[in-house]
Amino acid sequence: MKQNNLIKLIFLIPFILILTGCWDLKGLDRQVFVIGIGLDVSDEKGKIDITYLIANPEVGTSFAGGGTEEDTVMTVTMRSPDFLSLRHSVNAAVAREISYDLLKVIVVSEELAKDEEFIRFLYSAEKDREIKRNTYLIVTKEKAAEFLSKNDPKFLTRPHKFYENMIQRGIEVGFIPNSELHHFFRVTEEDANLFLATYATTNIRQKEDEYRINEMDALAGDVRIEGETNSANFLGAAVFLEGMMIGTLTGVENRIVMLLHDASSITDILAPIPDPFHEDYELTVRIRKQHNTSVEMNVHDMPSKIHVTLPLTVDVLTDPSMENPVDNKKKVEKLRSTMEEFMETKIMALVEKSQKEFKAEPFGWSLYARKEFKTLKDYMEFDWMRTYPEMKIDVDVEIRFGQFGRQPKTPSYKGIRD
Amino acid sequence: MFKVLKKLAGKKRNKRPVGSEDTLASQASTKDQSISYQIEDNIKQVKKIFHYPDNKDIKLRECKIGASEKRVAIFFISTITDVRTIEDSAIGPILKNKHPDATLKEIIATQNITHLSTMRDIVQNMNTGNAVIFIEGETSAYAFECANFQGRSVEKAENEVLIKGPKEAFTEKVVVNLSLIRKRIKNEDLMAESVTISTRSKNEVFILYIRNLANEKLVDNIKNRLKNLDVDAIQNLSLLEQYVEERPFSMFPSVLYSERPDRATSFLEDGHIILLMDNSPDSLIMPATFWSFFHTSDDHYLRFIFGNFARFIRAGAMFITIFISAIYIAVTTYHSEMIPADLLLAIAGSREKVPFPVFFEILLMEIAFELIREAGLRVPNPMGPTIGIVGALILGQAAVEANIISPIVIIVVALSGLTSFTISDVSLNFALRIIRFIFIFSAGLFGIFGMTSFFVMGIFYLTSLKSFGVPFLAPMSPHYVASGDTIFRRVLKNENLRPGYLKPKDMKKKSDEAVK
Amino acid sequence: MKQNEGKIGIRDYMAIILLTLGSKISDDTPTLLYKTAKNSAWISMLGIALLSLIPILFLLKVFSVHRNKNLHEINVHLFGKVMGNLISMGVLLLGFSSFVLDTSVYVDIIGSMYFTRTPTLALYILMLVVCGYGAKRGIESIGSAAWLTLFYLKATLFLALIFAFTKGNLKFIFPLWGPGTLEIAKTTGSKLSIFADFYYLGIIAPLVSSFKEFRKGTLWAFAIVVVEITAALIIFVILFDFTSIEVISYPFHETILYLSIGFLSNVESMFLPFWLVAAFIRFSFYLYLVVTLFGGIFKIKEFEYLVPVFIVIVLFLGIMPKNLTYTLPYLREMILGILSPLFFILPILMWGMAKLRGDFKREAEQSH
Repeated sequence: MKQNNLIKLIFLIPFILILTGCWDLKGLDRQVFVIGIGLDVSDEKGKIDITYLIANPEVGTSFAGGGTEEDTVMTVTMRSPDFLSLRHSVNAAVAREISYDLLKVIVVSEELAKDEEFIRFLYSAEKDREIKRNTYLIVTKEKAAEFLSKNDPKFLTRPHKFYENMIQRGIEVGFIPNSELHHFFRVTEEDANLFLATYATTNIRQKEDEYRINEMDALAGDVRIEGETNSANFLGAAVFLEGMMIGTLTGVENRIVMLLHDASSITDILAPIPDPFHEDYELTVRIRKQHNTSVEMNVHDMPSKIHVTLPLTVDVLTDPSMENPVDNKKKVEKLRSTMEEFMETKIMALVEKSQKEFKAEPFGWSLYARKEFKTLKDYMEFDWMRTYPEMKIDVDVEIRFGQFGRQPKTPSYKGIRD
Repeated sequence: MFKVLKKLAGKKRNKRPVGSEDTLASQASTKDQSISYQIEDNIKQVKKIFHYPDNKDIKLRECKIGASEKRVAIFFISTITDVRTIEDSAIGPILKNKHPDATLKEIIATQNITHLSTMRDIVQNMNTGNAVIFIEGETSAYAFECANFQGRSVEKAENEVLIKGPKEAFTEKVVVNLSLIRKRIKNEDLMAESVTISTRSKNEVFILYIRNLANEKLVDNIKNRLKNLDVDAIQNLSLLEQYVEERPFSMFPSVLYSERPDRATSFLEDGHIILLMDNSPDSLIMPATFWSFFHTSDDHYLRFIFGNFARFIRAGAMFITIFISAIYIAVTTYHSEMIPADLLLAIAGSREKVPFPVFFEILLMEIAFELIREAGLRVPNPMGPTIGIVGALILGQAAVEANIISPIVIIVVALSGLTSFTISDVSLNFALRIIRFIFIFSAGLFGIFGMTSFFVMGIFYLTSLKSFGVPFLAPMSPHYVASGDTIFRRVLKNENLRPGYLKPKDMKKKSDEAVK
Repeated sequence: MKQNEGKIGIRDYMAIILLTLGSKISDDTPTLLYKTAKNSAWISMLGIALLSLIPILFLLKVFSVHRNKNLHEINVHLFGKVMGNLISMGVLLLGFSSFVLDTSVYVDIIGSMYFTRTPTLALYILMLVVCGYGAKRGIESIGSAAWLTLFYLKATLFLALIFAFTKGNLKFIFPLWGPGTLEIAKTTGSKLSIFADFYYLGIIAPLVSSFKEFRKGTLWAFAIVVVEITAALIIFVILFDFTSIEVISYPFHETILYLSIGFLSNVESMFLPFWLVAAFIRFSFYLYLVVTLFGGIFKIKEFEYLVPVFIVIVLFLGIMPKNLTYTLPYLREMILGILSPLFFILPILMWGMAKLRGDFKREAEQSH
């Protein structure tokens, strides 16, 4: 019994090991938060120039101790083989530990995205535990470092809010795709679809003759937007095949992809459509997709056939020709057929572009094809990538009219001008 | 300190016995005499035992029975007897007696009269407030009850406050307490047995139970425990609790302590056993489960939805008070990715100006809060509000403005402190406060992993506790047939079974529609 | 005073099974299935369930005639002292090694996902101390703890799966037969021992309050667990697609890393405590089983005191592998491979022996 107490005391000693611990303790004031990472081509092979966009936590903090006049963000660029070792290298200039907890975007310059080796660098994002799979990927026309430093959002004091809001709103209205890393890895590994990444720039063209008719039928930077607003445009998509960028899609084309693809979260978009009753004017419609696209596939014939039916509900919101199509059944029919034709043409143009130029599709039709096969081996043998450019595809748009605006009728033009 | 180390090393301490005489034994020996024929001897004996006339409140009335010439001596302690009764019902009739052969029994007009044959019985009777009569020529004495101890009157409950329901509380007089309980259970099977537990102060404990409900083994168990106590004095139930409880070193109590008769009665009706004692304005209820500490009578007096709402808030408050400080520490130091981005930047920004790490800040504020709380208990009434204002001002505002503490910490600590007030039971309250500190330490060391480890250890510990054979978390954890009243309660009509873990004889509370 | 001396009721029993087997979806068991069966892992899981039903039913039949004996005692009774002890030793060794591997895997998960800089030794010590404390407290304690926390753990699991389902795409499950029926069948055969836990449940069979409850509890829990694991396997594929699922080591944790609920962008630390509680209960239970079996073989009555010894052994064995990421899955596969045929054959053998010895006839006579 005498020894018993001594032995018990000895048993407690290992617990002191635990008490010396707190190895993972990270004080919040010893970290800085990186909101965006920019990747650029560098002269050396095997290395890239990486830019960190770091948020200043004190700005915007309403604190009894008084506000500060510091900058909202800080950028720092260094050359590094990947963005894991950079976390330590950058401490030569940054005072605190880098934390990726608030990382929202990874910005890649177009130059680097078109490089074959780009995918090697991006895969290190999958290995780092702190980079989440729901980080957005953005491709910029100019260098990423330039984009991050020139981007100066108005009204939003916290930079991460800008990116969050801009991207989310852009996805909602359909002008940019949902380009999370999660989808990138999946699409690249599945090797059957195109991956679309958000396209952005701060290089806005100022020349007059670049103004297009259908404004959104352009890429970021090509649309003339005046006024004292944000310096960056987010519009259109960069097209990736097998991890490399091969082209771009305009805003309208991206919208078409979003409408056709079932997994996109787009629900209603406002778009202008040429008015069938008056050449110079355009109607604004709200397009709502309330049912899934139905895709009928016949993969056993040679060449395979795909028949896509896209059911849409359209609300006609304006009537610049003041023709009042509501009353007249014939006018409504004319409206419907013009719209269907217009949309089908645009869609087929995009499908052809994907077949001829990109040789792959971004619409997610390979998933429908997978249903037709029993095992993975059969599917792999079919090799969607190879057979896609030869396929016969036709798209049918079915429009059903919904509302006609708050006030369906407007007085006729002639009546007013009398 | 050195003693502890020596004990751990196993060295024997040279124990010197503490010198003392066993005065109790010597006191007992003087009482081991019988009553003599001569009344003078008896009177002298009693005077010696009670140190009359040094003890000013021992009174002696000698007289002769009227028409008989027999000498009679009445002894009583005036401060604890109802002197009027003695005068009117005993001394008066003795003096006015007209029949020469009347026995004392026929003369005295008190409620009862008992025969005493040893000096020991006489001393005991006098000590408990009865009056003792010696008659010349008889070897036995007579005693009658006229006890009247002074005490507080029945007042409002102070610690367990209710909105809806009776507001009476127990007082220090056990007869009053008994009457409060009998007022509520008018049943002949309500047993009020008594056991004398201490050897010097002779405190008496009343055991209450309903005979055809409570489990007999449980009752016997408790009675045996009480009889086996060998202590000089146990003044009141708070001390008795510490002698009777099963685990003196554990965080959780094993008996429930309540100052409200209606609560005690509801436990009686379920088959529990209650202890009452003089000098204790409360009752001990045993066996106790965790749910007895958690529930208040309020929950049943309110309607179904309101009662459940109150329970829900109390359960939530319990979790908040234990966990919120610990979660704050764990999240800001180990798991900062959990915080939404805006809040994270705000906290990071405010932390730049503050000198201490989060763990130390929270500890500081929690200790300060506990200090205020203890001080608030003892503050004399006129100064009460001032202390509150001073405390809030100094600790809150000024500390933030001087950049000692960040404002979020104030909110966290205030929340955790306030929510602890929802638990009205004193023992559980203390237990939760101490547990909160342990969680803070474990969170500071290991983040959420540490907290969860300690939580799981706590659950293992709780589920293995037993109070008088009843598992601590019954009827939730080992499942017993009971009325489904654990975290939430049911409509009163559907709560018609007694708790199965008490093994009552009669499980059903209502006869018809009694469904399990 | 005690209603059931050292026994547990059907609720506690089912809760234990649900937690121990249900938490298999959160370690590397899905990865082992996904490696060979790819996106049809759920089909192979259904196959495993069907196949496992046979040994479980045989086992229950054997237990129905020997109601108060635990697994070891039945082994000795049926196979004789020498063979019975040998079989129990083998079972014990296999169980102990899979316990060590499981704890090692969990410590690895915690270390690599949540506490990257803490040395694994400290994490291991803390985890083993908690499990040891639970095992020492006894089966009633473990059972009560399981029943108390069951609802909350399953609710959060359910929540996580629902969110994952909404973020995924149902079409990823096609093509349905994945790598081909042969591969699926191979996976089913080699990974049968995922349900070997049911065999080990025999060790506490006499501790359940009545045999009827034992049987009812086992079968119901089996059904629920099968549904749970299959649903989880499907949902992981829906979220990650067959390409990524092969390379992800811990799909459940990847899922909660990916999820974002409303304004909370990173919720994995919210699911962490619930998962940890399930893990602690699971390992306390395993430790209790191992210690009971050991006590049974070597005839030690007060086997609870063995717990600290076992903890130290597990600790030293667990931190031994030098290269955790490689050796752990390899060893796990090996052990599972050995255990699968054993799990299938042993109960059939036991039933056969029991029939030979006429135990069933004796039971039938007794009931007349």
